Amino acid sequence: MYTKIRAIDVVRVPPERLGDELRPTVKEVLQDNLEGRMDKKIGMVIAILDVVDMKEGRIIIGDSGVYYETVFDMLVFKPKMQEIVEGEVVEIVAFGAFVAIGPLDGLLHISQITDEYISYDEKGEKLVTKDTGKTLGEGDKLRARIVAISLNEMDPGDSKIGLTMRQPGLGKLEWIEEEREKEKKGEQEKINR
Amino acid sequence: MTEKRDKYTKYEKARIIGARALQIAAGAPVLIRTEEIDPIEIAMEEFESGNIPITVKRKK
Repeated sequence: MYTKIRAIDVVRVPPERLGDELRPTVKEVLQDNLEGRMDKKIGMVIAILDVVDMKEGRIIIGDSGVYYETVFDMLVFKPKMQEIVEGEVVEIVAFGAFVAIGPLDGLLHISQITDEYISYDEKGEKLVTKDTGKTLGEGDKLRARIVAISLNEMDPGDSKIGLTMRQPGLGKLEWIEEEREKEKKGEQEKINR
Repeated sequence: MTEKRDKYTKYEKARIIGARALQIAAGAPVLIRTEEIDPIEIAMEEFESGNIPITVKRKK
């Protein structure tokens, strides 16, 4: 889930930037420091939106930089347990599919795709169900639920997010649509009878 | 006691010139036109002309 967070941080403006306009400089330094950073509590920082407030600068002995306590807004992405997400398949592998959900990829294990038996088609780079012949390939859009989270602060790209689609209302968007059509037909027949 | 620089004690003056000289040495833009090359000399000249954007916060 994406959230906007108001945060406070102390920013060091290096001496060679002292001649520039302060606010844009502080914003730039914050962007360099924080964007792309991962924190287990806060999530992943996507962007620094706005510098809201700044205190007077402080000069510390032995340091040529000037330190500003700054209040700013930032946009963060934090995966939440049980959260429903929509994403796109970016890669199919033998053990499942990697799904892009915002800035991070989630893993959809083959056992979590459908209730049916599903197998890996090496040539087509697709996953195919045994009975109904439904396929899942790169670029397919789907809806899933987050069931496992393991964030890595040191290497954000190494974070692992586990997904499932084995619940009503989840699946490839086409499957959900089909399911809905079927339900509508069923109701129609009931009325006809 | 009308000029800004007269407000400071010699200790404060040393701290301001020291901090400013370090900034200049590290590449901060110089605020006055000067012939000097030594950052400390430049900082002193800036101080004399009252151009240093640094103030002292005194404890009450």
